[in-house]
Amino acid sequence: MQDTLNAMVAKASAELALIGARPGFEAAKARYVGPNGELTAVMKQMGSVPKEQRPAAGRLINEAKAALQQLLDAALGRIEAAELQAQLGPAIDPTLPSPDAGPGTFHPLTLVREEMCHILRKVGFTVADGPEVETEFYCFDALCTPADHPARDAQDTFYLPESARFANVSKKTPGEKYLLRTHTSSVQIRTMLKGAPPIRIVSPGRVYRRDTTDATHSANFHQLECLYVDKGVTVRDLKALLDYIFESLLGKDTKTRFRPHYFGYTEPSFEVDLSARHLPKVNKEWIEIGGCGMVDPAVFSAVGYDPEVWSGYAFGMGLERLAMLLYGVDDIRYFYQNDLRFLKQFA
Amino acid sequence: MKISLNWLKDYVRLDAPVEEICRAITFLGFEVEQVIRTGAPQLAHVVVGEVLVRDKHPNADKLSVCQVDIGPAGGVKTIVCGAQNYKVGDRVPVALPGAVLPGDFVIKQSKIRGQLSDGMLCSAKELGVAEDAAGLLILPGRPELGQPINAVLPPGDVVFDIEITPNRPDCLSHLGIARELAAWFRLELVYPQEKFNGDTGTQVRKDLLGEVVVEAPEDCPLYTAHVIAGVKIGPSPAWIQERLNAVGLRPINNIVDVGNYVMLEYGQPMHAFDARKIGGGRIVVRRAEDGEKITTLDGKERVLNSSMLVIADAAKPLVIAGIMGGADSGVGDDTTDLVLEVAHFKRQSVRRTSKRLGLGSDSSYRYERGVDPHTALEAAYRAIDLILETAGGQVVGPACKVGGDVPWQREIVVTHSFICEKLGFEIPEAVMEASFRALELTISREEPTESRGTAWTVAIPSWRDDLDRPIDLVEEVLRLHGTEKIPAATVTVSGLVGDDDPAVRFNRRVTDYLVGHDFHECVNYTLRPAKELAGWVSQTAAAELALANPFVEDQSHLRPTLIMGLLDTLKLNQSRGVAVSRLCETGRVFIESNGQNLECAAVGFVVGEDASRQWRKREPMDFYAVKHHVAALAAAAGIDLTRQPIVPVTGSYFGWQEGHSAAAGEMAHGWGARFGLLNLAMVKALGIVGKVYAGIFLILPEKIPAGSGRKRYTDFSLQPAAWRDLALVVDATVTAEEVRKNLAKIAREAVGNAFAVEAVGIFDVYQGQGLPEGKKSLAFNLVFRAGQRTLTDEEVNPVFQEIQDRLAGVTGYTIRK
Repeated sequence: MQDTLNAMVAKASAELALIGARPGFEAAKARYVGPNGELTAVMKQMGSVPKEQRPAAGRLINEAKAALQQLLDAALGRIEAAELQAQLGPAIDPTLPSPDAGPGTFHPLTLVREEMCHILRKVGFTVADGPEVETEFYCFDALCTPADHPARDAQDTFYLPESARFANVSKKTPGEKYLLRTHTSSVQIRTMLKGAPPIRIVSPGRVYRRDTTDATHSANFHQLECLYVDKGVTVRDLKALLDYIFESLLGKDTKTRFRPHYFGYTEPSFEVDLSARHLPKVNKEWIEIGGCGMVDPAVFSAVGYDPEVWSGYAFGMGLERLAMLLYGVDDIRYFYQNDLRFLKQFA
Repeated sequence: MKISLNWLKDYVRLDAPVEEICRAITFLGFEVEQVIRTGAPQLAHVVVGEVLVRDKHPNADKLSVCQVDIGPAGGVKTIVCGAQNYKVGDRVPVALPGAVLPGDFVIKQSKIRGQLSDGMLCSAKELGVAEDAAGLLILPGRPELGQPINAVLPPGDVVFDIEITPNRPDCLSHLGIARELAAWFRLELVYPQEKFNGDTGTQVRKDLLGEVVVEAPEDCPLYTAHVIAGVKIGPSPAWIQERLNAVGLRPINNIVDVGNYVMLEYGQPMHAFDARKIGGGRIVVRRAEDGEKITTLDGKERVLNSSMLVIADAAKPLVIAGIMGGADSGVGDDTTDLVLEVAHFKRQSVRRTSKRLGLGSDSSYRYERGVDPHTALEAAYRAIDLILETAGGQVVGPACKVGGDVPWQREIVVTHSFICEKLGFEIPEAVMEASFRALELTISREEPTESRGTAWTVAIPSWRDDLDRPIDLVEEVLRLHGTEKIPAATVTVSGLVGDDDPAVRFNRRVTDYLVGHDFHECVNYTLRPAKELAGWVSQTAAAELALANPFVEDQSHLRPTLIMGLLDTLKLNQSRGVAVSRLCETGRVFIESNGQNLECAAVGFVVGEDASRQWRKREPMDFYAVKHHVAALAAAAGIDLTRQPIVPVTGSYFGWQEGHSAAAGEMAHGWGARFGLLNLAMVKALGIVGKVYAGIFLILPEKIPAGSGRKRYTDFSLQPAAWRDLALVVDATVTAEEVRKNLAKIAREAVGNAFAVEAVGIFDVYQGQGLPEGKKSLAFNLVFRAGQRTLTDEEVNPVFQEIQDRLAGVTGYTIRK
């Protein structure tokens, strides 16, 4: 028996070494250890082996079985490896470019807006939103713009026809005309009317002016405004906010300064200048970046807040202007042409 | 407004350098747009010299060594010069050691290429007289040697072009700006002293002016007229002409110039009539009649209406009140007798008329912003002084004054601590009081309070109509304190609970998604041309989206979709030869729905055929990839597009290719989506190369959920599933989803409660050979599963047979064997 088994293992070893694919392997496996296989046949002879020899015979059979299994496992491992290898094509050239388009890019105005919102988020400002089609109340009246103020003029502001109706833009009074908002301050009014102080919001968004399009003007552009309403808000707090914003944006060395100015909805009002040292393509010491001021008590009255109790500040700036300064872009129209060679520069 | 420094110095001793004055104007709250220097600055140690000898420099080809005579006191100097435009005998400016030329250029004795030089011969540019630097300034007329150069050069001036904010009409005048600067530098302000005191003497010339009638006192609360007889018209004196020229006004004649001069001095516009041209000797301030005409000074005929105020004589309008005089009634070379009008017109009235006529002037600009009625007479007297001085004549009666009787009185009570609380830092009481005084805000009463410092009662002068409340005085104190001196602080944040608006978060999510899928985010204009809308929405809808007052024709309508702008972008890039394919945009769009408009938050994208050549081809974009992206965008707004009916577009949809695009939502629940292939003909007509796939998702901003809501876990079976496949032949026009839903329903009915139909999915769609014309085959995979046991064939087979039996009964469905 031992000879038979030894011969079987030797034969299997030689045979399996030559098998390279799965069908041949399965057949060989059946031939040796299948129900009709050679090893099975030897095992069936066990009944005829004298009882005293059975343990020895059993050991021999087990040894042969283990040897066969080892040979089979090795062959299977080899075949599986070959099969996996066959799934691969030729080796890749890692220096070839990906034929897939990409990567996608965020628009520079989005990048600047999100950066500003992020900076403001850290000091508790949340982003508010409002309609671009507005009414005279939210855009002008509540912000103390007198009825004959030039900003309300059809020369400067886009109006919708008197017949226009916007189902999801509420009017304060029925006679109001719809217009395209000239600033995002209307969002501040809607936010104040909807909620109760304290309030700390930033409202970025698209605004419209009836203006000739040129390198620095555009029929629509984007603003970003902050509003903070609380008890005991001071000019000094406002200055601290502006310092914080621009230090965060441009580094610790950045300075801001206030120049007194006039806006109808803040008192006192200031224009904000930025030390321009960091900025590309600017050869001035100071550059104007936005306007701000303490919320005028009349605005609080218009939204039903007691001006004796509540105080606040507001700050606003143009996003295109900021983006132009930060990136050194000198024509506002590039933001609206979307030439991919432009867009891909800011990713 | 242009302000002359020389002129300011009539009222305030401004010795500070120009840069300091600029800074003062800036921090007083007026933007200096430009500083224009005319003439030469004051230059010490720069004198007139004559070139006696001009020798070539021994060590430099381009330099000369000159002997220059600077008069008996200075003698002859040796000066090295590089200019070429002069000759011996020319008189030129000589800067001697110690001179400081503009740009802080200090002149010293020096050695130039080994040759000692005692100063510098100067060009006009070096003296700051002109921009021209082409050689020395050759002085004409052989001026006396050794004279200071300023005695020879025309006197210089500095003109500030200042933007005056609309709240400060008082500063549309030299006196106004002088008052501000006097306050800033704490200097005394000297007002002009009028000699005329209103006394018209005994002579009354009723023939020149009979009477003044104001019929519209609501538009003209004050009207004054003075008669000056026997004037002689001629050019005004040089000093008036110089000043008018400096601030950009052309001198005309002595009378007109005086009017302008006093307007620029006091901010009070005025008008002089030739008395002979006042028909009937009568001035009537009235509303115009509808259709009444006047030819204004600029030679244009203006048609008036009854909302407009005019100054008329007995018969006809002479002047459009506060705006412009008529061509016929003004002062001419032969005028001998004048009527000088100094009046106050309501700003609304002037503004209304100016706007309607499209006609503005220096006068109307000031009236529209607000002229102080309480300085009218002072300005009139000042003008009379100057007229008598420059044109002679004498004031005769009658002096007419109608209205203007309401005295000015305004007081504001403010406490020291109120101001400090608003500022957030301390300014001492004494400093605040000094600021008030400097601005001519008189403290009429001073009372200590228990805890809020001194309470001041501040009297506001009539020219400061902008000061009305305590907060307004905070600004005055801060202005004079200096906004540059606001102390630094850190941002203090008390926690406010809030989150970004849902619409903002939606926007962020969809942009992140699309950019993450290789799209380039674009920003396009909201306003689009009418003819473009016609390709996208019905005529009625387009009409609803029109602006009342578009600025340019191609920006006349609100955009109803983002796709149009994205197609512009595709086209622009293609035409510039830039490889372009995936573009996206977010923003507001405006749609008409049942006769009303809706402002929607929108996200859209286009995918053009990428023209860039690649070494390996990728699968082109198709409808189903677009559908996948739109589903992701909808999901960002909490909408599961797989659970929504999706309909193929038919001809009634604009811009989209029929049979290759689809719609969902349709705003029935505040949202809508369209996606697929854009209309091939439209895209081609736009000049875009290749097919364009697109998708857009709209939602009313108020419908965007604040959060997605917390989900609850549902138990699922751990037992293996049983699968069965089934193909149905149906009409090619029937949608797969309709068949799938029917099949799923039938399967659930057949299974009953025995176990679950877990899914019915489509895995193959076939049309063509082997199938009848107009039919297609849809192959479905049915997945069954039981909760607690392994399903056996014995259980599943009868049910599957039952499903097939039921399907056999459905008209139009054939089971494919």
